Amino acid sequence: MSVDQERDAPVLSARQVTRARRRASAGRSWRAFRSQRTGLAGLAVLGVFVLLAVFAPLLFSPDELKVTEALGGVLDPPSARFPLGTDESGRSVLALVVWGTRVSLVVGVAATVISMVIGTLVGIASGHFGGMAGGALERLTDWFLVIPFLPLAIALATVLGSSLLNVIVVIGVTSWPGTARLVRAQTLSVEARPYLERARVLGGGHWHQMTRHVLPNVMPLVLANTTLTVAIAILSETTLSFLGLGDPFRVSWGSMLDNAFASGAISSGAWWYLLPPGLCVVAIVLAFTLVGRALENVLDPRARER
Amino acid sequence: MPRPALSAAAAVVLLALLPLGTGGSATGAEDERTTFTVGMSQDVDSLNPFTGIVSSAYEMYQLNYDTLTDYGQADFAAEPSLAESWEVSDDGLTWTYTIRSGVLWSDGEPLTARDVAYTFNRVMKGKYEQTNFGSYVGQIASVEATDDQTVVMRVKAPSPTMLHLFVYILPEHIWRDIDAKDVTDFTNEPGPDGIVGSGPFVVKEHKKGQFIRLERNENYWGEKPAIQNLVFRIFTNEDSLAQALRRGEIDFADDLGSNVFESLEGAEGVTQFPATYSGFDEIAFNVGAALDDGTPIGDGHPALKDQRVRVAISHAIDTEALVERVLGGHGTPGTSVIPPLYQDLHYDPGASAYAFDPAEAARLLDEAGYTEGPDGIRTMPAGGEDAGRKLSFRLLGRASSQTSQQSVQFVAGWLEDIGIEVKPKIVSEDALTEIIGEGTFDMFEWGWVVEPDPDYQLSTFTCANRSYKDGGSVFANLSDSFFCDEEYDALYAQQKEQIDPAERAGTVKEMQRILYEQAPYVVTFYYDNLEAYRSDRFTGFTPQPEPDGSLLFQYGTHSYRSIRPVTAEDRADGKEGTKAADDDATSSGLLTTAAVVGGGLLAGGLVLVALRRRRPEHDVE
Repeated sequence: MSVDQERDAPVLSARQVTRARRRASAGRSWRAFRSQRTGLAGLAVLGVFVLLAVFAPLLFSPDELKVTEALGGVLDPPSARFPLGTDESGRSVLALVVWGTRVSLVVGVAATVISMVIGTLVGIASGHFGGMAGGALERLTDWFLVIPFLPLAIALATVLGSSLLNVIVVIGVTSWPGTARLVRAQTLSVEARPYLERARVLGGGHWHQMTRHVLPNVMPLVLANTTLTVAIAILSETTLSFLGLGDPFRVSWGSMLDNAFASGAISSGAWWYLLPPGLCVVAIVLAFTLVGRALENVLDPRARER
Repeated sequence: MPRPALSAAAAVVLLALLPLGTGGSATGAEDERTTFTVGMSQDVDSLNPFTGIVSSAYEMYQLNYDTLTDYGQADFAAEPSLAESWEVSDDGLTWTYTIRSGVLWSDGEPLTARDVAYTFNRVMKGKYEQTNFGSYVGQIASVEATDDQTVVMRVKAPSPTMLHLFVYILPEHIWRDIDAKDVTDFTNEPGPDGIVGSGPFVVKEHKKGQFIRLERNENYWGEKPAIQNLVFRIFTNEDSLAQALRRGEIDFADDLGSNVFESLEGAEGVTQFPATYSGFDEIAFNVGAALDDGTPIGDGHPALKDQRVRVAISHAIDTEALVERVLGGHGTPGTSVIPPLYQDLHYDPGASAYAFDPAEAARLLDEAGYTEGPDGIRTMPAGGEDAGRKLSFRLLGRASSQTSQQSVQFVAGWLEDIGIEVKPKIVSEDALTEIIGEGTFDMFEWGWVVEPDPDYQLSTFTCANRSYKDGGSVFANLSDSFFCDEEYDALYAQQKEQIDPAERAGTVKEMQRILYEQAPYVVTFYYDNLEAYRSDRFTGFTPQPEPDGSLLFQYGTHSYRSIRPVTAEDRADGKEGTKAADDDATSSGLLTTAAVVGGGLLAGGLVLVALRRRRPEHDVE
């Protein structure tokens, strides 16, 4: 690996080389991603939702969420003033939907981070350590995998009480086993490669092997998986809030559906109260799924071989 | 705590399997056995009359058990029940009740004056038994059965409540086996023969969160009801309750929300009945939780011990807006704890009412030293014990009630406007009962259904009815605000002995005035009981009081005993069948909604499925 042999190239430090290589690889990935139209469409939809979430306070003042400041009638149909009608307390459904974006995104992303961290840790550890420890971790993963998600989440949410943080925690700690499985499989394949044997022979410890060699190799998979998990986390948040296990005083799409359901919007035929949050959930979940699929195609070498 | 979650899940499952129906009445009223199915949104908390506190539980008690006397259907006047007649001595101190002869318990054992004496003595000598019934027996010195048909009660002083003793007479041969210790966790769930009682119906089956089934008591002493099976189905969602009524799975819907109630307008075969009711909702304060002996308990916020803070909050709550927004106009703004339905006893503060005025509320708080800190939240006055502590109150609402949750949201908003931080939380009614008993709250939203005799309601504010300690654990009593006031207690004792109705009403009003001034509660509203029933199937409902009182959930079982299936003659009268035209509009609107929602979900689902199928087989797992 001496620099002398590449006389034409400028002299680069090892770090610069790495950086250049990463930049090139990111560019390649982006080009590959761009070639997938569905992924781009998903990204666009996602962008709209992120903008809505970020600029919600500029579009609708937080006062519009206060029932005491509500100006509309009870379950008023859409009008020029309230483009999506009003809820059971006279608040604008449009304002609620826009503000609800924030909770859905925050919960989706935060819960996914928890789930990813746990899943990656358990996955790498169980793949790296064979024997008892690895086996035990794998059994734990299997065990969590077979517990039906909803009852476990409901039980946890009931015990912990209803708050936004708890919803995040509940979704986070119940949705990691899929990731762990995936990461474990990839870890096993990475561990079988010769350069890891070399690292071991040269005296690299467990920590070194896992963080320097295994982790960088599983990261692309984890990233692709993350986008898919966000979609599931958002759906879970909606489900839990709809079942009344979320924070009832924070506007989210799930809690809107819950309130619509509880206040007789169905009997009253108030479709403007039910449809917008429902369609938003569908749209954002779809967007995340499309982006996730596209990313997976780009980052997962096996998926690309097709 | 697990109950609301599970029942919510159950609701979803129910919705998914819509054409279910356990009632059985769907097949029509011309069944061999007439089944009348009531849909309600509140489960019974306990079938043990010493334990239950929710109104649906009391409905079961009065269907299953009798009391000595009843409240009349038309105007709440006392009328005979188990006691067919009574006499009072000239000095007013001895009451002699004559019990009907030949009355049998539902298991065939004879019901005698001894059962009556047993029940009363149990309540008077008990501790746990006092919680629900203590207020009826406080004035009684002794109860004795002189023979099988005669009960003699001696009172400490002449009493106006001796014809309103709402104590359910229990069979001694069953209850003597349940001692003072066992009774605290005795569930009284029905065995194969049902719950032994003497009322017109017998509870035969109870599936928690699903239904309660009663059968006509064939040993009933009075005229037997036309209904043979009486089923109370519990719905966790009002939409499904209303839909069940539309489809005819149930015959009666009780306690509907205003939106759902109005959506039933014009539904075929359904009659809406917005009944004037004796219930109110309140925001209650923890005015200083303590045991009945004065030992402080709990962790209520010290600011709420200050009457000036409570009055300021009263000014900050817009009761008219609550009636308009939460009840959809089906109620009246609240003031005192005896509803205006009882016009002779209701205290109307008139000009001295706390008008909705946030500026006035803020002024009162400023004046009392609760000034705003740098973050806009008020703090305890300087120099006091908790100087500098923020005015941050926990406000609890009930998971089972949309009205409660909405009220909580409104109140939280108004309080924030005057610089008080509110931490709202929604809990189940069971959990709330426990929290209240232990005094670990600042404010909560709940309500009472008030009896025609004011004694019970007024007793919920006496010092003696605060929580008590028995063998190390704290038990909740009737008081949920822990209000304790000497003058009030004295008046409470006084009204217990005032025979002259006008004089007593004066005292009762004075007590309400004290409560209004001291403000342990902000009575938010008196709600109407929004009821609807299948008038194409059943008729003969009797409102209590006439003309627009509640059709079911009354004081007594009047309607249940007079309801009968609609006959061909009734139909010939032509009262029915005229409302069908309008119904199409509503149901088509519903269908559109369902179609659009369903379509949207289906489309989303299809996309997901399509994606899933496109997914390379080997990529995951």
